[in-house]
Amino acid sequence: MQATPLTGPAAAPIEAGPLAIELRNVARWYGNVVAVNDVSFGLGPGVTGLLGPNGAGKTTLLHMLAGFLAPSAGEVLVLGRSPHRDPGVYRQIGLVPEREAVYAFLTGLEYVRFNARLQGLRDADGAALDAIRRVGLEDAMDRPIGTYSKGMRQRAKVAGALVHDPQVLLLDEPFNGMDPRQRIAMMDLLGQMAEAGRTILFSSHILEEVERVGTQILVMVAGRLAASGDFHAIRALMTDRPHMITIRSSDDRKLAAALMTNPAVFAVELTPDGCSVQTAQLGAFRRLIAGASRTAGVRITEVFSEDESLEKVFEYLVRR
Amino acid sequence: MASFVAFSEIVGITLRQLMGRRRTVWLLLLAALPVLLAVLFRAAGRTEIDSYSRIVFDTIAITILMPLVAILFGSGAFGAEIDDGTIVYLLAKPVPRWLVVLAKAISVMAVSIALAGGSTALAGAIELGPIGEDGLKAAAAQVLGVVVGSVCYASLFLAVSLFTRRALVIGVGYMLVWEGALSFMLPGIANLSIRQYALGAANAIYPLPVQESRLSSDTAFILAAVLVAVTLALAVWRLMRFELPGGSD
Amino acid sequence: MTAQNLQQMGTTAPLAASSPGGSIYDLGYRHYDGPRRGRSWAMWSLFVESFRSVWGFGRPMTAKAAPFILTGLYALPALFQLAFSSVISQEMTNGSGPQPELLAYHSYFSMFYFLVFFFCVAQAPELVCRDQRYRVLPLYFTRSLGRLEYALARLASLAAALFLVLMVPCVALFIGDILMKPDTFKAIGDELPKALPAFPANGLIALGLAAISLTVSSFSPRRAYSAIALVAYVLLAEAVPAAVFAIGQSSDWSWTDKLFLVMPISSLDGATNWFFGKALQPGRFTGSLTAEEYAIAALISVVLFTTVLLFRYRRVPA
Repeated sequence: MQATPLTGPAAAPIEAGPLAIELRNVARWYGNVVAVNDVSFGLGPGVTGLLGPNGAGKTTLLHMLAGFLAPSAGEVLVLGRSPHRDPGVYRQIGLVPEREAVYAFLTGLEYVRFNARLQGLRDADGAALDAIRRVGLEDAMDRPIGTYSKGMRQRAKVAGALVHDPQVLLLDEPFNGMDPRQRIAMMDLLGQMAEAGRTILFSSHILEEVERVGTQILVMVAGRLAASGDFHAIRALMTDRPHMITIRSSDDRKLAAALMTNPAVFAVELTPDGCSVQTAQLGAFRRLIAGASRTAGVRITEVFSEDESLEKVFEYLVRR
Repeated sequence: MASFVAFSEIVGITLRQLMGRRRTVWLLLLAALPVLLAVLFRAAGRTEIDSYSRIVFDTIAITILMPLVAILFGSGAFGAEIDDGTIVYLLAKPVPRWLVVLAKAISVMAVSIALAGGSTALAGAIELGPIGEDGLKAAAAQVLGVVVGSVCYASLFLAVSLFTRRALVIGVGYMLVWEGALSFMLPGIANLSIRQYALGAANAIYPLPVQESRLSSDTAFILAAVLVAVTLALAVWRLMRFELPGGSD
Repeated sequence: MTAQNLQQMGTTAPLAASSPGGSIYDLGYRHYDGPRRGRSWAMWSLFVESFRSVWGFGRPMTAKAAPFILTGLYALPALFQLAFSSVISQEMTNGSGPQPELLAYHSYFSMFYFLVFFFCVAQAPELVCRDQRYRVLPLYFTRSLGRLEYALARLASLAAALFLVLMVPCVALFIGDILMKPDTFKAIGDELPKALPAFPANGLIALGLAAISLTVSSFSPRRAYSAIALVAYVLLAEAVPAAVFAIGQSSDWSWTDKLFLVMPISSLDGATNWFFGKALQPGRFTGSLTAEEYAIAALISVVLFTTVLLFRYRRVPA
């Protein structure tokens, strides 16, 4: 695998400012199986998506950040301290685990209050009600969690994790089981927390979730950090993969013939949508297309990039 | 103050967890057995410390009821949370681990004592109450034995459940093989037998006419205290190093 | 995307059907038209699979530990006697008197039954609880295997495993007895008739324990609760009748010894004595019941528990 400039031991922090989360050459293995392999990155306030297919090591990474696993090698720091064997750090960490299990016999409010009390909050009842309101669970808060739907359960877990207003919020597959409306509400909530200076890291294998919330992403593949940083920036760095651009014009056939002669163009294909072009150098191509169309006497109506979606980026990184 | 709130919250959750509806019904039926046998004793027109202690207290209350109840609760207090994954909610909190273990242990002991001790007390009152002072003393001794035994079993299997997921089966094996068979064959095991601690502790109040009670009450109390201290310390040690699996990820 | 694009991207599967809107590819799957094996084969397969899983085959080493260690422990006393049989036989030829019979076929189970029972406690819940806990029963029942066949195959596999556990020490005792005699062939002829009742006796014990263990286990999807329910049932079914009998002894409650018939271990033990034609030892058995009555009780309990098991599997939510 080729290292992109942002990965590896020398990785730069994604954002400037104090780092809430820092990993230095972290690895974790179980016997002979390596779950996380030499991962380094730093995170400041904001929402960051942790992406990767199943088995990439996302949960292992989050568990290390939450202090529930010791790294086999390297150093994990949350707010400057190692979270393993240090319960005090949980004052500043909120964790939403992936497993759906909750205390089914508690009502939603009781569950959130349980979290508030164990956090030692002075006004536990008030904080619990507030957290319930933030996730929009007021109507169901007096019902046992056992009767909740998946999405409601997920929201109860989130309420329990943010009841003490932690500096760092870790969420493992938080959008699982939520309907689209709840998803948007949850994403808004995470966005608000990020604006208030909180550091939020959530894992997902569903890309549209990530695309909407955070432009910051970490991509894990087979235990290694495959990419980190701004999503669009990462896309631009992937120079060895041809970009697919579709152009609509007054005369697609003529335009195709004109583009064929250009050395930056790999292939041209006529589709019902227009003229589809593959190129390696996006910047150069954008500059030359205006001149090419002028000389061919074709008027361009629309240029769009087909594979700027995260799905494509992801597919690309995973396949490599 | 904050730690007291956390403590009572964990105790509350644990009690609700342990007293699931269906399970409580079965356990109450189990606990009713000694009481029924005591009633049967009275129906047979017998009020005797000797035979009652042997037939009901020794063979049923302290050999079957007390260990089963304490093993079930002891291994379940953490075991069920680890199985279900709810342990995360408990541990992702700024609560010292010794406090978590203490809260769990106290809940488990309370429930075990309420069930096994309550049953022993009620049965003893029915059968031995009419005998007078000696009878009451014997009944109190039996309850003390069950209390000491429950506390030992509960803390032992609370600790075991943090080391293996099959704590309950190991507990049952301990009860069947170690306490049941080996301690009859090898008398030296008495120093390492919870049943002997319980019988020895009972001797502090009244010398129960139970077969092969081998420890003096002082020795029994000391050994029981050591067992509880060591197992709970092990539980704290283990919980501080508690690791979650990587998950299905 | 059109089919043309897909092909350019490297899809090489031939087209099975195509229209301008979409295509179905022929991935090479074939319909099976040949003969199928029926229920009895499915039952046999489940039996084999269950038998393997009782011993932990096809599972990690940790799953093998409990069954093999318990089998070894149960056979250990007999193996000891086998190992020292040569020493013992020399003593005998030196004329130091008849060898006292320490371990005998008919009383071996009653001495070390707790290990076999612990085998049941550890392994019976493995067989039936996981399927309920992880809700995979429908996967069985939608195949040619029915609910009753499922239950019977599981029962048979546990019984077969237990039979094996029970026979190991008997075989060791048999070999030991033969090696002690100077004339091996004559010894086989003498010993074999004495040992043969071990087959029906251990068969009944295996069936009886399997029926009780599996039936009690099948009522909870959690292994832990099944195990503790099984222990509670068997220990109390042994202890409570004995207690009631002891209470009634000074009164003229003559009926109390009939309660012994519900004792699971003791009735199997009594039945074993009946198979070997031995009288019940007074130290182990009190009351007026005969070995024959225990044998009948054991048989009835096998039938009863199997019936309950089958009823349970008619209703168990799949």
